[in-house]
Amino acid sequence: MVIKIEHKWGMVVDLDKCTGCNGCVVACQAENNLPINTKDLFMQKRAFEWIRIERYWEGEFPNVKARYLPVMCQHCGNAPCEPVCPVYATYHNDQGLNVQVYNRCVGTRYCINNCTYQVRFFNFWEPTWPERLQNQLNPDVTVRTRGITEKCTFCVQRIRRAEITVERRERTKLNDKTMAARNFMPACVQACPTNALMFGDQNNQEDKIHGYFEELHNHEGHSDSRGYRILEEIGTDPSVIYLKKVDQFKMEHSESHG
Amino acid sequence: MKLTRRNFLAWAGISAMGAVACDVFEDELRVQSPVALPEDLVKGKENWYATLCGTCPNSEGVVVRVVEGRAKKVQGNPNYPTNLGAQSARCDLGLQQLYHPDRISAPLRLNGEKASGRFDSITWSRALDEVSKELSARDGAVAMISPPMRGYSAVIADEFIKAFGGKRIEFESLDLKTYRTAIKNVFGQDIQPHYDIGHAQYVLSFGADFLSTWVSPTQWEVGYGEFRDSDHSKRGIMTHVDSRFSVTASNADRWIPIAPGQEGKLALSIAYVIIEEGLYPSNVDISSLTSGQGLNALAGYSPENIGSQLGTPDNVLGSHSVSELIRTVAREFASHSPAIALGGGTAGASTNGLFNLESIYLLNHLVGSVGKEGGVILNPEPPIKELKGYSNSHTLTDIEELIKDIKASKIKMLFVYNANPVYGSPDWSGLEQVLNSDDLYMVNIGSFVNETNHYADMILPDRNYMEDWGNDIPEPSAGYQTVGVQQPIVNPLSDMDPRSSSDVLLTLAQDSGKDSSLPWRSLEDALKGMSDELFELNRGSVSGTTKQEFWTNLLRQGGWWDKSATGADVSDINGLINKITVKSKDPKLSGNGEFYLVPFLHNSLLDGRNGDIPWAQGTPDPITSVAWQTWIEINDKVADDKGIREGDVIEIRSGAEAIKGIAFVSPAQPPDVISIPLGQGRTVGSAYATDRLDGESANVLNIVENNKIEGTDGLAWAATTVNITNTGTSLRIAKFEGDYESREVGFTEGEELIKTTSPGDHDH
Repeated sequence: MVIKIEHKWGMVVDLDKCTGCNGCVVACQAENNLPINTKDLFMQKRAFEWIRIERYWEGEFPNVKARYLPVMCQHCGNAPCEPVCPVYATYHNDQGLNVQVYNRCVGTRYCINNCTYQVRFFNFWEPTWPERLQNQLNPDVTVRTRGITEKCTFCVQRIRRAEITVERRERTKLNDKTMAARNFMPACVQACPTNALMFGDQNNQEDKIHGYFEELHNHEGHSDSRGYRILEEIGTDPSVIYLKKVDQFKMEHSESHG
Repeated sequence: MKLTRRNFLAWAGISAMGAVACDVFEDELRVQSPVALPEDLVKGKENWYATLCGTCPNSEGVVVRVVEGRAKKVQGNPNYPTNLGAQSARCDLGLQQLYHPDRISAPLRLNGEKASGRFDSITWSRALDEVSKELSARDGAVAMISPPMRGYSAVIADEFIKAFGGKRIEFESLDLKTYRTAIKNVFGQDIQPHYDIGHAQYVLSFGADFLSTWVSPTQWEVGYGEFRDSDHSKRGIMTHVDSRFSVTASNADRWIPIAPGQEGKLALSIAYVIIEEGLYPSNVDISSLTSGQGLNALAGYSPENIGSQLGTPDNVLGSHSVSELIRTVAREFASHSPAIALGGGTAGASTNGLFNLESIYLLNHLVGSVGKEGGVILNPEPPIKELKGYSNSHTLTDIEELIKDIKASKIKMLFVYNANPVYGSPDWSGLEQVLNSDDLYMVNIGSFVNETNHYADMILPDRNYMEDWGNDIPEPSAGYQTVGVQQPIVNPLSDMDPRSSSDVLLTLAQDSGKDSSLPWRSLEDALKGMSDELFELNRGSVSGTTKQEFWTNLLRQGGWWDKSATGADVSDINGLINKITVKSKDPKLSGNGEFYLVPFLHNSLLDGRNGDIPWAQGTPDPITSVAWQTWIEINDKVADDKGIREGDVIEIRSGAEAIKGIAFVSPAQPPDVISIPLGQGRTVGSAYATDRLDGESANVLNIVENNKIEGTDGLAWAATTVNITNTGTSLRIAKFEGDYESREVGFTEGEELIKTTSPGDHDH
């Protein structure tokens, strides 16, 4: 039986627009109750960033570039993290989301080992906030405890609210415009000052991102468009498309190092 | 067996009895609901309120999510003209400011000697009584230091201080006076213009890190997003000239490294090529710009003459010489219309900063970009006469004057209003010593203890912007009249007792009988009066048939704007080039150091104002990914030569002063430049700002030497040279880079993480 999936959420990241400003990073931390990234967490290489900006160097002075790459959970259609979870804490839902069920997670960290994109985070310690700061915590998002793996959800709490408010109560079709108008876009997308991040329904032809996915699927990577997916050769079928950075001027003899 | 309802119930009953008999826990018998996400919604109605953000100098329009009386999330207000729904990495910081564990909860009165750090918590009535008495005793000798302010809070502060015979200084660590003066001299008005980057074809920027921290970064980033609209064949080109590889430099198509202070020469050399090769549009009056001298007005600025003086390497993006590069950029700039030239930051921070900035902004007149879509859009006067469309331009020189006045007992009482000038000015200014005088009574209005209110006699806790009224004329606006409105969206927590600082000033003036020019009972009162005035204008974005309805809609929208109320070009271009070239001078540098010192504003801490906020500390810097620490950017080859490795603690010395920081070795750093962010090196404040090891946190302002900018007296903070020494110790650097090993894939072909293309190589 073919099940018709109504929504299939996806994201498009335009690398030519991303300035690396970190607006998305802070917005995500505020929305999703991420633990405070203390100095110690950085020292331990355990800082939490569901979305992070990777910076790559290319070239040498004076012909040098810093390339920015926002990386979040790619919500892979064929996610390497899913089959290795012994308790089904991570699974693929019927809207194309790679979901982490916190109260099932037993902390084996197999998913973290298997994630191609290193976007899963483990709570080695109980996250703590000073009492007053707890007033800011988002009641829509569970605070994860020690021993739990967490990751980007595409702000599923906002998607759920959108479904309830826009679809059920207002009987309006859910698309990128109706979601943006009511603050239901993922926090990173809503924050991005240059509109480098776009979110929407891959199945909805009216959504801005639809064309990018259609083109990618139709041409299987041989199109002239800027769309590609990171490490897609591995076969993960990510739900995030990146649009190539446009180099106005070519650098000669450039060399890249990470 | 056929499954009927009767059979089902029978079996269910037997199973349950069996389970109980076998001692199965009751919980396990319950039919569990399908596992929904743990993010399942909770009860509680959410509200989004429009207001103005208070964590950046340019207040952006924001909407704040409030659930059960608690602020949860800040987002850009989609309707607000300057940021159009976008936000920076700093917008959400207001939430942690609001609920910060170290926020001052009640008035604090000094108990003991100054700077003893001993304060008693007292009631507001006692605090205001004491301040009133001191005001009466010191009438005529009162001054105030605040950050740049606009709107009615500025009007109230000004009238208050005038009533007591004093003066208010608007203090910024890296002041914008030189920029504001250049704008006045080139475009004829005090109000800052809007740069319509979204519609531009070319942006030529000098020194201003406008995509990160300069003036109104979110506004420029919104434009930048449209500027890079690669899928619609209108991708703009951007060249950035800077002494440091900043966030803006990293996003430019071409970065031209330059020695600090040489930006003006480069700009005039570009002007030279435009005139020499006749690249200007036909409606540009070159004769008028040059007083009839034509190219002779720029004699000496040919690229061939200038190229070797700039400190720019010869081989920038395939150029063979700097003169060739100048000609290429001039031709590109003139041929891609509309084009914008803008400058600030280090370009305006050498001793010749005013000359540099005027030379840069002049380029807009040469290519006919002033007052044109995609160019420099001049902003109009605000719709309310009482309100100014610009901040006052004060500098460290004004602080130095104040210090003299305090020493001469001309000023005996000082209000410091949400500012931290002791941290924000170099040690040599002497402000700290003068504040430590028993003859001076200092009242500090703010939310956190800091280096300045360490010397206070009285600290009055201010309301957070989410708890208070306010308004703003954006500086700059988006090309048309805009009035932003801030409203209280949450009440202070029950254990907090802050008061609106404007209301406190009004109360003090009323108590002293000096409120003749302050006709309002509260800031809210003033705003309602403003709303009525806007209502009477009968135009703009806010609808309403009655004043009350208009007021409600004004708050709901977060402000008032009228897209038809635009500014006009009032520039006087007669002899402009001649007026600029007479100011031409080489920058004066302090010391004989090996490196230029280039301080810069931190992406999230800015000048240190956000240092108490954990999110601001924990957000990695875009270029280096360092958090929580002071890093020293040093060129990789230079570091190799000097045996310096990442993490080494480096001493940076200018003249008599030295600071220490952690080396960050960068392939993009010019070999002759050391750059250091502001924002760290706090000594008094919450643990988030101050709890650091020796060598990992320093205030770079303390090694900036005393050089002033000619014509504005601003601090020439890019005119210091330094020497560096490896201290021999090293610390772990708190950086995000390398946390995740995915960076190590992507080396083999086919696993390329960041793919690039050339313009025209793609379609969509």
